[in-house]
Parts: sequence; C-alpha cells; structure tokens
Amino acid sequence: MIQFENVSLEYDPGRFAVRDVSFRIPSGAFTFLTGHSGAGKSSLLQLIARLVKPTAGSIKVGGIDFSNLKARHEPALRQQMGLVFQDNQLLYDRNVFDNIALPLVIGGYKYDDIKKRVSAALDRVGLAHKALDGPLSLSGGEQQRVGIARAVVARPKLLLADEPTGNLDADISADIMKLLMQFNSSGVTVLVATHDSGLLNNFDFPKLTIKQGRLVDVHPGTRQGSAARSRQAYTE
Amino acid sequence: MQKKVASRAAKPVNASARKGSAAGKQWTYGKRGYALAQSLRQFTQRKFSSLVTLAVLGITLALPALFLFSAQAVQQLASQNIDDESLTLYLRLEIADLDGAALAQTLLGKPGIQKTRFISRDEALATFQAKTDIGNALEALGDNPLPAAIVVYPVKQQADATAIKRLSKQLLALPQVQRVQYDLRWVQRLQAAVRLIQSVGWILAGFLTLTALLVIGNTIRLELLRRQPELDVAKLLGAGTSFLHRPLLYTGALYGFLGGLVGSSLAMYAFSKIKTPADQLSHLYSSTFQLQMPSASQFLTFLVVATVLGWLGAFITLYSPSRKLISPRRTGM
Ligand SMILES: Nc1ncnc2c1ncn2[C@@H]1O[C@H](COP(=O)(O)OP(=O)(O)OP(=O)(O)O)[C@@H](O)[C@H]1O
Ligand SMILES: [Mg+2]
Repeated sequence: MIQFENVSLEYDPGRFAVRDVSFRIPSGAFTFLTGHSGAGKSSLLQLIARLVKPTAGSIKVGGIDFSNLKARHEPALRQQMGLVFQDNQLLYDRNVFDNIALPLVIGGYKYDDIKKRVSAALDRVGLAHKALDGPLSLSGGEQQRVGIARAVVARPKLLLADEPTGNLDADISADIMKLLMQFNSSGVTVLVATHDSGLLNNFDFPKLTIKQGRLVDVHPGTRQGSAARSRQAYTE
Repeated sequence: MQKKVASRAAKPVNASARKGSAAGKQWTYGKRGYALAQSLRQFTQRKFSSLVTLAVLGITLALPALFLFSAQAVQQLASQNIDDESLTLYLRLEIADLDGAALAQTLLGKPGIQKTRFISRDEALATFQAKTDIGNALEALGDNPLPAAIVVYPVKQQADATAIKRLSKQLLALPQVQRVQYDLRWVQRLQAAVRLIQSVGWILAGFLTLTALLVIGNTIRLELLRRQPELDVAKLLGAGTSFLHRPLLYTGALYGFLGGLVGSSLAMYAFSKIKTPADQLSHLYSSTFQLQMPSASQFLTFLVVATVLGWLGAFITLYSPSRKLISPRRTGM
C-alpha cells in the first residue's frame, strides 16, 4: 500500500526532517509510527499525503508513483485518503454534520448519498445525537471522533492519523484506538503516528520507529492488522 | 385527505427523524451551491463591513454607470450635425408683413438656401409672451417693439461655419434686413465643451472602474486571510484549486453585482435630477437632444459588466503570481 525507497525530505540544506527512509506497508495493515518529538513523524505522513514532496527517493501509495504525479491529480489522490489530526482541524463555523459532509461535497457526492454516509459515519462514532451541535460544544474526545468520522466518511483505503490521542486521557484514547481498529478490520490500511506510550504498550501492532529523520527500528508486533504481516513486508 | 393529515400527525418525532433533518438545504451540498452558500454567508455574517464595501463600490460605480447610461445621448449631442442650423434675419420695423413674406419666398430661390420661414411681428410677440414672463410687460408698452424675422435654413452642404458666415454677409446686404443673427459659435462651443466633458468623463470612469476592481481585489484578499483555516482544511480533504477558489470568485461577482445595483441606482437618481436642466439647456440651443432614462437593456448591460468586473477582481487576486496558492501552514500534521 505504501512504499518508500530511500526517501529524504530536506527543508533547508543540511536540515533533514526525513533521511534515507525505506519501508513498505502492506494493504490492510495497522501500523504505528513512533519517535521523539521532532523525529519526523508528521513530515513522513505529509509525504504520504503528498502535502510535501520528497527531496530524494521515491514514494508509491496505492500503486501510484508520486514521481509521475501531476499537481492537478493531487486533490483526487488526497480524496482517497482519510486524514486525522491531533488538533482535529474541525471547522467551527458549521455544525458536526456539515463538518463530516465536507469531504463528500469536495468529492461531488449526491445529496442523498451525503445524507446517508454522514449519518452512517455519525452512527459509527456514536455521535448521531450531536449532528446539529457546533464542534466547540463537544468534548475533546467527541471532537476527535468527529474528526475520525470526517476522515472515513468517503470510505478511503488509507487512514493516516497524526497523534489522534494527543490531548486525550487514557480511557478516551482507548476508545479512539478501538474506532481506528474497527475501520482497519473493515479493510482500511491505518497508519498512526504517536508517542503515546500507553497506546504503544497496550496495542502491540507493527511499529516503525524514527529518530532524527532516520528509520531506526521496525518492530513486527504480536497483533496484526486485518491482513497477516511479517517483518519482511515492512522492510523488504 | 383526512387520512393523510391523521397519519402525518401520528408520525413520532424520534431520533431518526431528527437525524434526517441534520442536513441543511440540498442546494448547499453541491459544489457550486456550497460555494454560493459560503459566499452568501460572508455577507450575512459580517453585515456592517459588507455594507460599507458595497457603499464604496456603489459610489465608485455610480459615475461609470451615469456615463454608460448617457453615452448614447451625449454622443448624439456632440456629433449632431449642424444642418438644422439657421440664420435669423431681423427685418426693419417699417417692412410690412406681406413684403416680409414675399422676401422669404424670394430667398428660397437663392442657391445655398434650403428653407425659409417668415415670422410676423405679431407671431414674434405671441411666442415671446408664451415663453417669458416679461411678455406682458411688453404688451403694457402698447406698441409691439419686436421686428418681423425670416429664419433661413442653409442647405446641408453649406452648413459649415465659413459657408454660413458668407451667407450671412450676403443677406445683411439686403436693404430690408436690419440685422443677421446666427448661433453657430455657440453650437460649436457647446459641442467642444461636450466633447471635453465626454473625454474627461471616460477617463474618470476608467479610473473609477479600476478603483472598483482594486476595492474588490482587496476585499477578496482580506477574505482569503479570514478563510485560511477553512481553505487549509478543505485542501487537506482533497479540495482542488477550483473548489478552494470558487467561493471567493462568487464573492467577487456578488460584490460586483450588488455594487453595480447600488451604483446604477445612484446613477438613476442623479439622472432624474439632471434631466430637467439638461433638457432645458439643450432646448436653449434648439437642439433635438433629450436625455433618455436608461433602458432596461442598458441597465442589464451595466449589471453584467459590474458582475464580470467583480469576478475579475477576485480572479486577479487569486491568480496573481505574487500570491502563493494556499499557505503551507503547519496543520499539526
Ligand atoms: N515546514 C517546515 N519547515 C522547516 N522545518 C520543518 C518544517 N516542518 C518540520 N520541520 C522540521 O522537521 C523536523 C521534523 O518535524 P516533524 O513535525 O515531522 O516532527 P514530529 O516527529 O512530528 O514531532 P512532534 O512529535 O513534535 O509532532 C523538525 O526538526 C522540524 O523542525
Ligand atoms: Mg508531529
């Protein structure tokens, strides 16, 4: 699903956010991406979402080679990914329903389809009763669930989550984690960047560790995502 | 019918009914509808600053509107052929009406003269009385002091200034004629003045149109900053340039349209105020010129132009090379 070959991202000459990283994440996997603050986790996710371009190396996602990707095709690519952020990036000028509907409006879905899908997504994150509320009136955990609903409403094949439990306490973090696992079990490839040790210890999924931009460890994990994986699949 | 009402009343207002109504109006979920809704919301959410901007635009566009509306009439005035230019021969007081009329007839046979009209002393008095207040005062004098006159219309080919001057000299040589008067110089002056006003006006209108463009561009620039969070999020969710820019283009067009509406209303008001004096002025020069209220098509044309102008102002702002598309703001990712 995701394939990095000798990928580097250099913001200023000599300042690498990602340095010579190679790995491969198979379809259907649930993977953690970890490392200290500033290690380059967010940068790596941005590379996958094509929000930044690598300065060296090649990236393939879902069979698409980014080196041949034209700028005007980037939006369509992004529509096939779901993005979850630590600060959830909800829009406060509209209610929960319309926040979740936005990717569908962007994708040009029909009204009836939008109604159906948003309602289904709201049901899955357990917030059907909050559809008309503004995001600001929700708790942190609820806001994060809205963010997840928005990320999955267009049924992406890949879900990228950057510190999705960053500001939340342990119980709620576990709820969010379960939601992400639910989506994974329905076939979505999930990549979660986190340094939440509680999460990493309780859910022993495959784990990529980066340090100062370099991939320093690939931990196979005892749990597997929706498809059986081996260490081989990650390093190749 | 009865049954229908009953069944509707029986329908429980449950959670699922509420859920179904969570979606807003259907049109706001299409790409264009969304852009329009966003753009309209901008107006309703920030009423005061929108109104101020509209007032500025309206005032700015009022003069261009006035010029567009009056362009045709003014053009007609400026280029009006002076072929219905005339010379007035005032006859000596002792010339009898019959002799005057005969002279008018004779003159008609001369080369260069197209038409003549004899105005008797009585007719002159009557016209004068009808047109002015001092007519009655004249009557009080007892004797009609006004001379008879012959209005001479030169043929078209001889209607230029030199030909008229020459003709005037010939006519003055006639024994019956006391004085020859013609307004040629006044017409020329009027036309020169109109042409000057016309070019100054077009230049002004051009500057003001440019100003409107800049005002809209600047409004869009501010709007762009204000909406940065929404644009960043939409971009992260896979929105392309057209999706990101459409609401702003609509806002520009909407400003143009509404500004045009305000501007043309102001122009119409100004029109109604200057119509009477303008017609009076033109009458003084015995011109056929008349200020027409703008037609529906002129009005519509102006609105279309203003709308396009607004759209263009937004377009230039959005696609100017100086602007980076959407800020690569750190998004927490
Ligand atoms: N837009 C940018 N311009 C310049 N340097 C950047 C930019 N984005 C990230 N960096 C640098 O790249 C390095 C990696 O940053 P990144 O945000 O990927 O780290 P991270 O692992 O996500 O950290 P955290 O856990 O704090 O979110 C850091 O040194 C950071 O300063
Ligand atoms: Mg980060």
